[in-house]
Amino acid sequence: MLRTEKVLQLRGQQGRAVRVVREHYLRPDVPCRSALCRSAQCRAACARDGKLLSDDVTHYVVPDCKVVQEYLEILEFPELKGIIFMHTACQAVQHQKGRRQYNKLRNLLKDPRHDCTVFANEFHQHCYLPREKGESMEKWQTRNIYNAAAWYHNHCLGQMPVVMVTEDEDAIRQYGNETEGVFVISFKNYLDNFWPDLKAAHELFDSIVQARRERESESQENHGKEYPEHLPVEILEAGIKSGRYLQGTLNVNKHRAQLEAFVRLQGFGSKNTELQSDILIYGTKARNRAIHGDVVVVELLPVHEWKGRTVALCENETEDKAPADTTGDPMPTGKVVGITQKNWRDYVVTFPSKEEIQSQGRNAQKVLVTPWDYRIPKIRISTQQAEALQEYRVVVRIDSWESTSLYPNGHFVRVLGRIGDLEGEIAAILVENSICAAPFSEIQMSEMPVSSPKNPWKVSPEEAKKRLDLRDSHLIFSIDPKGCEDVDDALSVRTLPNGNLELGVHIADVTHFVAANSYTDVEARARATTYYLADRRYDMLPAVLSADLCSLLSGVDRYAVSVLWELEKESLETLRVQYRRTLIRSAYKLEYETAQALLDGDTSVVGNILELQGLDEGTRQQKVAELVWAISKLTDIARHVRAKRDRCGALELEGIEIRVQLDDKRNIHDLIPKQPLEVHETVAECMILANHWVAKRISEDFPHQALLRQHPPPRQEFFTELRECASAKGFSIDTRSNKALAESLDRANDPLDPIVNKLLRSMATHAMSNALYFSTGSCPEEQFHHYGLALEKYTHFTSPIRRYADIVVHRLLMAATLRGTTGDVKDNITSNKDLEELCRHINNRNRAAQRAQKQSTELFQCMYFRDRSAESDERCVADGVIYSIRTNGVLVFVPRYGIKGAAYMKNKEGLVISCQGAGSCQWKPGSLHRSQHKITSTTATGDSVTLSLFDHITVRILVQSSRCHAERIKLEIIRNAPHHTADTEAAHRSSHGVRSDLVKEVSQSAEEAQRAQERARVEVMDEESQEFCQTKGPSLYQLLEEIRELALLDVTQDIRT
Amino acid sequence: MAGLELVSDAGFRADGRRPDELRKVRARLGVLARADGSAYLEQGNTKVLAAVYGPHEVRGSRSKAPPDRALLCCRCSSAPFAGGGERRRRPPQGGGDRRSGERALLLRGVLEGAVLGQLYPRSQIDVHVQVLQADGGELGASVSAAGLALQDAGVALRGPVVAGSAGLAEPPAGPPVALSDLSAAEEAAGGPRLVVATVAGSGQLALCQLSARLHQERLRPVLDAAQAACRGLHAVLDGVVRASDPLGDTRTLPWPQ
Repeated sequence: MLRTEKVLQLRGQQGRAVRVVREHYLRPDVPCRSALCRSAQCRAACARDGKLLSDDVTHYVVPDCKVVQEYLEILEFPELKGIIFMHTACQAVQHQKGRRQYNKLRNLLKDPRHDCTVFANEFHQHCYLPREKGESMEKWQTRNIYNAAAWYHNHCLGQMPVVMVTEDEDAIRQYGNETEGVFVISFKNYLDNFWPDLKAAHELFDSIVQARRERESESQENHGKEYPEHLPVEILEAGIKSGRYLQGTLNVNKHRAQLEAFVRLQGFGSKNTELQSDILIYGTKARNRAIHGDVVVVELLPVHEWKGRTVALCENETEDKAPADTTGDPMPTGKVVGITQKNWRDYVVTFPSKEEIQSQGRNAQKVLVTPWDYRIPKIRISTQQAEALQEYRVVVRIDSWESTSLYPNGHFVRVLGRIGDLEGEIAAILVENSICAAPFSEIQMSEMPVSSPKNPWKVSPEEAKKRLDLRDSHLIFSIDPKGCEDVDDALSVRTLPNGNLELGVHIADVTHFVAANSYTDVEARARATTYYLADRRYDMLPAVLSADLCSLLSGVDRYAVSVLWELEKESLETLRVQYRRTLIRSAYKLEYETAQALLDGDTSVVGNILELQGLDEGTRQQKVAELVWAISKLTDIARHVRAKRDRCGALELEGIEIRVQLDDKRNIHDLIPKQPLEVHETVAECMILANHWVAKRISEDFPHQALLRQHPPPRQEFFTELRECASAKGFSIDTRSNKALAESLDRANDPLDPIVNKLLRSMATHAMSNALYFSTGSCPEEQFHHYGLALEKYTHFTSPIRRYADIVVHRLLMAATLRGTTGDVKDNITSNKDLEELCRHINNRNRAAQRAQKQSTELFQCMYFRDRSAESDERCVADGVIYSIRTNGVLVFVPRYGIKGAAYMKNKEGLVISCQGAGSCQWKPGSLHRSQHKITSTTATGDSVTLSLFDHITVRILVQSSRCHAERIKLEIIRNAPHHTADTEAAHRSSHGVRSDLVKEVSQSAEEAQRAQERARVEVMDEESQEFCQTKGPSLYQLLEEIRELALLDVTQDIRT
Repeated sequence: MAGLELVSDAGFRADGRRPDELRKVRARLGVLARADGSAYLEQGNTKVLAAVYGPHEVRGSRSKAPPDRALLCCRCSSAPFAGGGERRRRPPQGGGDRRSGERALLLRGVLEGAVLGQLYPRSQIDVHVQVLQADGGELGASVSAAGLALQDAGVALRGPVVAGSAGLAEPPAGPPVALSDLSAAEEAAGGPRLVVATVAGSGQLALCQLSARLHQERLRPVLDAAQAACRGLHAVLDGVVRASDPLGDTRTLPWPQ
């Protein structure tokens, strides 16, 4: 056997130019596989496999590489006979078109019905031509194929003409007349001349050419990239200035993450006034690699390309369906042209399950992971551990997103815990909200003063000299919910020698212990707030401060910052106010109930007051009398202050909600007060007063760098839904001012169904924007206004233990009062710019805290319902109220559990719901008709069900499990009638109990069942006391805000009132 | 490139060989004058140089030397310019990379079986093999070249030592095919690779090394292919030895077949 050797030199492998030397053997015995061939050598070689090229065709055709690649589909026509695929062409297909195309070609070659064959021209010693220096690949391939075609012609002794078809014009010119009997023509020409009757082939040819042209023009536009490039920064800046581009934060629609995103424009002072609404970014192409939360620059599309937002209910799994019929009115639509700030954070993701990995292809090292947050696109990461990590929640970080890549690239950071495991899921919630709540470090703890039972902390004499000593002169007491550990406010009232009254609000002096820029301060600033989850709490300050040294407990000396007002004895007008650092000793640590009882003249509770125990009867009587006088005086003052605020147009709302929430708390304590207590309002009013006066003082002293809290008036268009809903019940809501809104909300009360009013209020809450901290230097004075409280200036001053903003305000206040006396106070004051940054941070953290709390509550709900079987357990069936109508279903509120959710009236198969009498609902073919206040489902058989706003229906609560995301509550309509059970009443009364059961029960299933359970109990109390008692906000704004924070809680009680 | 097929439907390997064909072999003896025996072997693009010193007195500590037979010292190395997989993670000093060390161990095992060591008690035979260019089958080429060099040095052998390799191609359609004498590209495809060294071209195995898993049923065809490769290689190398021997066949006993 003759062996010759050629060395083929290749270059370029994995990007770098690598010189690869491959042997290449040429041989004489390559079979030609033609029936015409008479050579014995060939015959022997051909005998191995049966398929031979027939000899009864008019010509043999040799397609060039390009032709095989592009027009393989045409070559597959069985009418085309005598095709010789050169080995060179086959290789080109394999390398450039990929496996699928190559397999098609191989199957074609093997198909015995098809008259074609492959000729291994590259291994034939007479056909192979080495590639010349500087010759392009395509040219070399064409030359080789032509050479082989010519050889083939000669090999068959010229009996059969050979037609080589190529798309290369040069080749046609060059080789066209070189050899007699070998024709070189273009493919189109070939079809026209040889197969003029083969219509299908011609049509296919045209369509392929067409498709290729489109692809070429497209790839010319974006050079084969998945996304257009972002514009350079200078162009973006110039564009924003000239108004051509708009800048804003990208918000992805959670329910339609693939399609819809909105850009909320930055800054109120936008000149472009016609653009009131957000800008819709439709589809991922237009979103151009921006991720939820990024600050992006958008360009508006022409008006005729504007789209409407989708209004149908949608489950996330069905993200690819794009229902065109359910879109609303067109709104401004744009596309992202640049990203000014990437707000990438750590993302919790889940690895695809085994089956999915397999479907993702053989290259298992690159895995597409699904983020927990629906709004984040899938992330491609490289890891070998994909299989091992399948059952875990994992943190990844995004590294880059190239314009050539459909998905962003990321890398694996750490494992959080198993999917479905309580600790793992809680950790996921924390990471998703970027909450870092590690235990306090040693260096932070070392800054803390020592206080142990053996060696209690004492007031230092030097410090006492600097402070105003109120220990003996004032009767100071605190009113808090039961079990409260961190008392950060106390009250006092007394008659001055001149007959005027002096009201005092004393707040724990946290800044004395937390020096600015100390480690503890830096940590507290980073946390910004204490985080409350459904079953636990993450403190902002170490426990030694929050529960001991800063807590204004009774009977011990504590540092405080006090605001003291001198009030005129009759009119209660403020005459003088002073802000002082003080030393106080709280006399009583009262509970709300006790205080209320005292106020009502009920002295039987005196026995509950620890501080009065062990005194003789006479002293006790006297002390009780003093205390009762103080409380009632306080109440008088609070009423007065409040009335004054109301006149100014404060959003007046009788504190039903908050009192109900307090009822709830009580239920935890097994106390069942029927009435909301006036004491709550009293305390809260005092706190608002203190906050207000402090705000006034610091904004006067630091007009450009004071931290205040604003509540911008809501945009009127957000009230549209509220007005429409109310009109369904015949109420009209006036939303023009805060006062009008409060009054019309009061009027909108359906005596038969108290829930209506609650839902309307909750909608009003939703329409409002969040109150925000801001620096006075960053916005004009008319925007300082607080909409909810109707105060010109407001800030947070009264809870420094659990809010960082209060600490900042304390420092500002100290600097303001000490101004001129000492020089070093300036150090504590941050500049406007820094303060602005800080406010943004605190606002963000507050939002994160609220989200985390909500998500943890939902987690517990889901875990609660997950363990019940929806079919049998009657706890899963509940009464629901419809509060919004969508095109394919309704939004339902379940008062019993405080759940809001969607219930579909049309399922994925397009069947609609049909309810027959008392029986359960069934899915039947039919149609839905939606009008403003009701939705009607009509089945094909003529039955119809109509659901209107505020209808009561019976729903079944299911948990929709999902591997990659948080589980969600799903509602299913069971009956078109209110749900009545024997225990409905009981349930209503003890619905609170259900909730605490819920927390407990789920905790139990966690690893540390016992501990978690106890903790849940304690923390729930704590949390609620924190949330509802210490904030002391009985005004509409605060009420609503708290309802929003604890969406679960508010409505539960609403029903009962 | 990962999806490259080892054998095309037309029955050709990527470099144009048929499954049972070897790469082109070239060999020369006595290329290094200072060594007692030396050989240069080319198998396709794999090029190997072997040199034999000895038998001579044991160097270094004599206690190492076995009293009844010769001490075989094998050293393998790769030239820095050899290319292929050897290039990676090369230690700064030549020699001593992991694959070369492994090769030296295996080579020593083969030669222990082939050299009639009891004829040279208390003496040492040094065998040095260097891969000049790597393109698959370095172990086989090293063994074959060492065998040639030993012959060139006139060391008594049981028979000439040759080694060949074989792999298995499993096309998606059709039965698996055994491939003789794998090239580097074929080795990189990740299939099984069997290296077999035979003494005297008789089918006696001095080495049988299999990398990657292989089903028991498939072992026989692969082993057959490897032995066929050995036979083919032996036929060529035998010719080379005979041609290069200045005294012709007269001084050499015919090898037992």
